[in-house]
Amino acid sequence: MGGAGGLTEDLVLGINDHIKDAVVDVRERGSESVEEGEEEREMVPPRGPTSSSSGVSIHRSSSRPQLDLSGAAIQGNFEEKDPTILLPNQSDDIYHLALDIGGSLIKLVYFSRHEDRPLNDRRKKSIKERFGISNGNRRSYPILGGRLHFVKFETHKINECLDFIHSKQLHWGGLDPHQWTSEAPNNENAIIKATGGGAYKFADLFKDRLGVSLDKEDEMDCLVAGANFLLKAIRHEAFTHMEGQKEFVQIDHNDLFPYLLVNIGSGVSMIKVDGDGKFQRVSGTNVGGGTYWGLGRLLTKCKSFDELLELSQRGDNRTIDMLVGDIYGGMDYSKIGLSASTIASSFGKAISENKELEDYRPEDISLSLLRMISYNIGQIAYLNALRFGLKRIFFGGFFIRGHAYTMDTISFAVQFWSNGEAQAMFLRHEGFLGALGAFMSYEKHGLDDLMVHQLVERFPMGAPYTGGNIHGPPLGDLNEKISWMEKFVRKGTEIIAPVPMAPPGTTGLGGFEVPSSKGDTLRSDASALNVGVLHLVPTLEVFPLLSDPKTYEPNTIDLSDHSELEYWFTVLSEHLPDLVDKAVASEGGTDDAKRRGDAFAHYWIRLMEEPAAYGKFGLANLLELREECLREFQFVDAYRSIKQRENEASLAVLPDLLMEIDSMSKETRLLTLIEGVLAANIFDWGSRACVDLYHKGTIIEIYRMSRDKMRRPWRVDDFDMFKERMLGSGENNRPCPYKRALLFVDNSGADIVLGMLPLARELLRCGTEVVLVANSLPALNDVTAMELPDIVAEAAKHCDILRRAAEAGGLLVDAMNIQDGSKESSSVPLMVVENGCGSPCIDFRQVSSELAAAAKEADLIILEGMGRALHTNFNARFKCDALKLAMVKNQRLAEKLIKGNIYDCICRYEPAR
Amino acid sequence: METCSFGDEIEERESKISHLAIDIGGSLIKLVYFSRDDKCSTGDQWINSSNEGGDVSSSESTCPILEGKLHFAKFETSKINECVEFIRSKKLHHSGGGAYKYTDLFKEELGVALDKEDEMNCLVAGANFLLKTVRHEAFTYLDNKKEFEPIDQNDLYPYLLVNIGSGVSMIKVDGDGKFERVSGTNVGGGTYWGLGKLLTKCKSFDELLELSHHGNNRVIDMLVGDIYGGLDYTKIGLSATAIASSFGKAINKDLEEYRPEDISRSLLRLISNNIGQISFLNALRYGIKRIFFGGFFIRGHPYTMDTIAVGVHFWSKGEAKAMFLRHEGFLGALGAFVSYGKSRSDDIIVHCLVERSLVCTPCRGAAVDTVDGNMDESETIECCVYPS
Repeated sequence: MGGAGGLTEDLVLGINDHIKDAVVDVRERGSESVEEGEEEREMVPPRGPTSSSSGVSIHRSSSRPQLDLSGAAIQGNFEEKDPTILLPNQSDDIYHLALDIGGSLIKLVYFSRHEDRPLNDRRKKSIKERFGISNGNRRSYPILGGRLHFVKFETHKINECLDFIHSKQLHWGGLDPHQWTSEAPNNENAIIKATGGGAYKFADLFKDRLGVSLDKEDEMDCLVAGANFLLKAIRHEAFTHMEGQKEFVQIDHNDLFPYLLVNIGSGVSMIKVDGDGKFQRVSGTNVGGGTYWGLGRLLTKCKSFDELLELSQRGDNRTIDMLVGDIYGGMDYSKIGLSASTIASSFGKAISENKELEDYRPEDISLSLLRMISYNIGQIAYLNALRFGLKRIFFGGFFIRGHAYTMDTISFAVQFWSNGEAQAMFLRHEGFLGALGAFMSYEKHGLDDLMVHQLVERFPMGAPYTGGNIHGPPLGDLNEKISWMEKFVRKGTEIIAPVPMAPPGTTGLGGFEVPSSKGDTLRSDASALNVGVLHLVPTLEVFPLLSDPKTYEPNTIDLSDHSELEYWFTVLSEHLPDLVDKAVASEGGTDDAKRRGDAFAHYWIRLMEEPAAYGKFGLANLLELREECLREFQFVDAYRSIKQRENEASLAVLPDLLMEIDSMSKETRLLTLIEGVLAANIFDWGSRACVDLYHKGTIIEIYRMSRDKMRRPWRVDDFDMFKERMLGSGENNRPCPYKRALLFVDNSGADIVLGMLPLARELLRCGTEVVLVANSLPALNDVTAMELPDIVAEAAKHCDILRRAAEAGGLLVDAMNIQDGSKESSSVPLMVVENGCGSPCIDFRQVSSELAAAAKEADLIILEGMGRALHTNFNARFKCDALKLAMVKNQRLAEKLIKGNIYDCICRYEPAR
Repeated sequence: METCSFGDEIEERESKISHLAIDIGGSLIKLVYFSRDDKCSTGDQWINSSNEGGDVSSSESTCPILEGKLHFAKFETSKINECVEFIRSKKLHHSGGGAYKYTDLFKEELGVALDKEDEMNCLVAGANFLLKTVRHEAFTYLDNKKEFEPIDQNDLYPYLLVNIGSGVSMIKVDGDGKFERVSGTNVGGGTYWGLGKLLTKCKSFDELLELSHHGNNRVIDMLVGDIYGGLDYTKIGLSATAIASSFGKAINKDLEEYRPEDISRSLLRLISNNIGQISFLNALRYGIKRIFFGGFFIRGHPYTMDTIAVGVHFWSKGEAKAMFLRHEGFLGALGAFVSYGKSRSDDIIVHCLVERSLVCTPCRGAAVDTVDGNMDESETIECCVYPS
């Protein structure tokens, strides 16, 4: 995609992940800027109007105009941290808030602009020029990357909601306060999109309190738009829930319609959806969430919906409901397919003479009520689906709240009445359909064209807890997060597995009892449905060399297998004290760092407990979540000093190694280089087994020792095939060299310096352009794209091949000055691109645009290391030749994947498909 | 339960009672029994059965035609002992789920074994019997107007029979003995009574029902207008007064602060409307135009019928019709009774029925205390039976 047409489709709204007080926002953004690395900030020349979006993206309404970015320019000083981007041709301000005001709950969807990372480094500039990502190209405009937040309030506490909006200045687009005051926005024209009945009812209140008008959007329009957006744009949005088992369903976008959307709010609406904007409300029922809450409150004196729901988890409805067995003396009425435990009459047993309301347990009442209403909704929904021949029924709305029992009951009803023909499905963003739809209804927001790969869901502290329950806004301030976590740990020791052995806030590290097993800590009936913050990252793209993006699944290990989950839970838990240790040390070991370390550890364990709450979960997701979680507690780079130390030590011995290699014949050299990559891959702080090794010798010693052990044949050994492609089968059969190779690098230190760089050098020697692909953000001791240029520059000091290539690739400072000289053609270039990830693994469905651009002319991919070649992508196939190199540093994985042992090596070569 | 007068009467007539059928439900026990008539019994005007069916040969009985009355009585299931007392020493024959549960009790108390009939069989047999033989059995109820609907016997099937007892069964009836329970719901009469009792402290179902007459559900239900600031949601055809969420407004005050009348009304609307909706959806599914509602929940209660009828009317856009049965509560017992005859012979025919109403009023069924002798007296159906 390129050219002007691409402009609009990349536009995304900027969102800051944490809800912070807008006043302190400017300063805080700086410290958090590591959270996202994909954004670019650049000055843009005025542009003409842009064409509409491309065909592959999501369309809700083709006639809907896009955010007009023409003439966009940064206002004021470009060096400013968060410059305001002026969109002179934009008729209105960009609105950042939409509301769904229902009978019981107010749902807010708002986006925060993304804080842009100042990334004007020379590497980026050079990459842009080389791959044609330059001014005038689609990448050149300011990208309003951002985050979509989901928050809810109870309607009768509408003032809290108004305060919240006011404090964030969301009704002014969440701009920095000094910005909007100085610009004196026109208060009269401010509007917020709103849906739900309350948009009418509370219109005056909003006008009075916030001075904004509510622009009312039709409720059904919004529900459908929201649901369509979620089903198309979010992977793992829909799932089934039967007998406590949650299973995510991959929805084929081309086979989505028609479906029945059942929105369970206070009342229930049933909508037949035939397409974008094409729908009909076919039915509904007045027995909905409001009935549960209203009746429940009268009967139990609960103070909140959540309390009522919570009660139901400990209830036994048999004391209240009349079961078939009660009527038939414990026998099934099998003739008509009713089992003895089927409810014949809800509350039918509550007629006994000598019992009053007080004689029944509120828990039982709540459960009975919940079953009655869920079952009823399931039944009516099914009957309507049947009526219109709809196979799929999606249930949304705030009644469900990820409550396992509710979902099970609805699923049961649908399955029972349909004889298993119809399936109830649920949506993770169940409650926010309307609000999201209202948000989509802003005429110029660009969301229409978002594609799945541009959305990344994160689970910042607080967000997971707002998904299932109403706790008001998510936590923002770091301190607030830590105190919350500490409170949570004190209060919920029975829920959370590891317990601090010393008072929180002082231990810092090691103070955890590592849970021995995950099984007992799983809470099957808890509200395990979490809604994170949607990061809209317009620069992410699908890796163009994937052979079949549709069927591509990054994870090799699926954690829905319970034994796998338990195993990796244990592995990661064991690794936790060491990680906390490193993280705290990386921040100077201060008391503050220790507190954060504790909070991180607890939070991380907490997150691990309910992996299914965050969508379908593989090992890669779990590993990424850990990194996200570290960043959440502002551990920017836990392995910073270790990485630095190992890089220096490795660079010191590199010249010797290169000399040794250069003395070999071409054939020996290639083998030695591959051996070296495999050997150097042992330097991995992500592997417990390897950490223990580190204390046994210097880097070069371990490297040589390790390489000596790498003798062929390896467990998976396609080296001969690779060699033949590289060197040809005989003297007369010289193959043409690869044009461009993408090397996905792994760890810092020996791995990159002694393993991958020498291999890269060999490729350069053959005349192959080399692109080193590294992480955008730190993950364990993986080398990052930011760090690579310095490493290469240092290595280049002792090696002409590397120097010339690095110069050609724009990695060396000097090269900037002699771009047009004859020198440039003296070597094929060595380049560095970031992959868009902050994880030890890589998901090829979401990579940075620069990687995607670099990939276009690549004909060889080398994936190195466990995270990228084994945990993920072990089974991935590519359109070009691929070489997967890794040492297996985990016994179980070795057995599972290659029926081998720990330290076995994999050299898998897969020619292009 | 006042069974005295009735009981006395029964004892008086004891010798004449030849058949008794019982339907023991979750909340109520329904009795149907047949008393032989000695021609000069009461002197009321009633029509003898015609004999054009001819004499049916009999292998075990020499009695050619039994003429008499069908009596209907009901007891609360929780007071089953009173019922047992009442029918002590009578030979029983009955249906209903409770038949299984109470087998031991009956065996112990009365020394008889219950001959259990299938509940659905009985319901259908009872309904078919009534619809075919009793004129003015079925009626519609809309806008507080009861209208009897003549049933063309040749165009009776298929129909949907919705029996609202403690729970609700929905049965697609295609003919005599040809039926299928296609659906049902657990939100039925038992729910109304159970929830109502918890919420209002009423002592009886009928008291609860009576309360609903004086209630206003707007205090408790969230109406479309409540959400839309008094406006209709016209785009999807919901008026401001439509209930958006039953009990949806009951979230700011404690139970004591609401009037039991309002609660009862709200509850009644919730359940009636829901049954109406599910019934319609099932009727639609099978292309059935007529839905008959029976069972003890209705009790001829105008508001209940109105709500159900409105529900059906609303959802079907006027295409389907809700109809009610005057002997709504006795379908099962009547069916058991009919099958009682059949179990002895296939040829039992009830030829002519004339209803004899002493104090029958259109809403007689709504009377608070249905379980008294007067009602049963008024609800007799005179008939003759060929117990071949």
